[in-house]
Amino acid sequence: MSGELEGKTAIITGGSRGIGLACAEALSGAGANVVITGRDVARGEEAAKALPNQARFMQQDVASDEDWTRVMEATKDAFGRVDIVVANAGVSSFFTLEAMSLEEFRGLNDINLKGAFLGVKHGAIALREHGEGGSIILMSSVMGRISAPANTHYSASKSGVRLLAKAAALELGAEKIRVNCVLPGITHSDMTAAFDEVAMAPAIVPQKRFGEAKEVADAVLFASSDRSIFMTGADLVVDGGLITR
Amino acid sequence: MTPLADLNGKVVIITGATKGMGRSTAVLFAQSGAKVVATGRSEADGAETERQIKEAGGDGVFIRQDVCEEADWARVTEEAMSRYGGLDIVVNNAGVFMVKPIAETSEEDYDWIYRTNVEGSFLGLKYGFEAIRKTGRGGSIVNVSSLMGQVGYPGATAYCATKGAITGLTKSAALEGAELEPQIRVNSLHPGVIWTEMLTSQFGDDQSLQDAFAEDTPLKMIGLPEYMADAIAYLASDQSSYVTGTELTVDGGRGAD
Repeated sequence: MSGELEGKTAIITGGSRGIGLACAEALSGAGANVVITGRDVARGEEAAKALPNQARFMQQDVASDEDWTRVMEATKDAFGRVDIVVANAGVSSFFTLEAMSLEEFRGLNDINLKGAFLGVKHGAIALREHGEGGSIILMSSVMGRISAPANTHYSASKSGVRLLAKAAALELGAEKIRVNCVLPGITHSDMTAAFDEVAMAPAIVPQKRFGEAKEVADAVLFASSDRSIFMTGADLVVDGGLITR
Repeated sequence: MTPLADLNGKVVIITGATKGMGRSTAVLFAQSGAKVVATGRSEADGAETERQIKEAGGDGVFIRQDVCEEADWARVTEEAMSRYGGLDIVVNNAGVFMVKPIAETSEEDYDWIYRTNVEGSFLGLKYGFEAIRKTGRGGSIVNVSSLMGQVGYPGATAYCATKGAITGLTKSAALEGAELEPQIRVNSLHPGVIWTEMLTSQFGDDQSLQDAFAEDTPLKMIGLPEYMADAIAYLASDQSSYVTGTELTVDGGRGAD
């Protein structure tokens, strides 16, 4: 297994903790040069230092077009090229419709949906430069397929990401730029730290447990590598069966 | 194809392994260290699969099987268990394909395609569950459906019906498998246009047709059996330990259209 991403360079947004960090570990472990981006510099630097292969941290607001331009240029300066973009950064909150301000709705969609759009856009531009194609992976969620109360903004963003990926897959396919989505279920991370696994998991997850970030990262690794060379516009669901029933 | 370290030591039954995707999957699994029971109807083609497994340095055997026959399933699972000491994975790959307008599709046509594709997969799940439970290590079953188990295709009513059935069969079995201790995961793979004998037997085997299919696919390429083997390996391995009941589409982007 190790070495399947040798010589490739991957950018992972929100890569200094949770699912993003697990993705960085998986891709770095497979031989890729990794750039992780995020908002917290201290945590990011620490995370990059601990990765097994060459890695850098770059501060980035994924909703900023300028930041994407800067990250792409800096990545090319550091490693010469970009092959893989994992648009993972995302946020979550719970508000009923009446309690949800437009600012809250927009703030979440700026990160989750616009951040994915900018990731695909800047990723496509960077991958085009070498013309060898590559892989862009968008972190959607099972909440892009089903929903829950007090979650309109999150569901809108994550279902938006799914169709964004399909449209981009159709547009970029001829250039061998693949675009796929990964849909995690309830995964151990800061985002789900408040959830009561003992009560929730047996009731709603067929596999009766929450997922581990590494299990999501293994799907991202599959979508990143040439093992999925014929896969684009697809959803990889990693949810312990959550949406099956 | 990239060998997967975490298939090492797993015992797998792969149906329809006498050619195409089944054979590619059998060879990849063997390269990845799995012990492979490759099944199918043709002795000659099965012998060639077994030869390729051994040539790749793998451990595997061909056993003759008609997936529609319950007695064959009982025999194949027993042989896998006695030869390799257990069973971890079943790949229900055997399938038949037919393109015919609805009015011309006879009851015999329908029964033929239904028995292999649906009952064959059902029996693979039933006997696979039993043998994997007996082994006690948990496991994974991969059912090969099709893009035509997710969307329609003109002139393929019977085929779409059977592949849609596999999609549903998979989800129900996944929920049942999750109730077991240790668990058995069940997922479906949905290939797009893959250049195999199954396809060329219906559409013909010429370059211009291959080019036309490639042109009609967003990635502008034709699917090869090796690509499907990689996806099956992902679903079968512990890399997908939190994946069950899902549909994995590997179609060059056709389904996104």
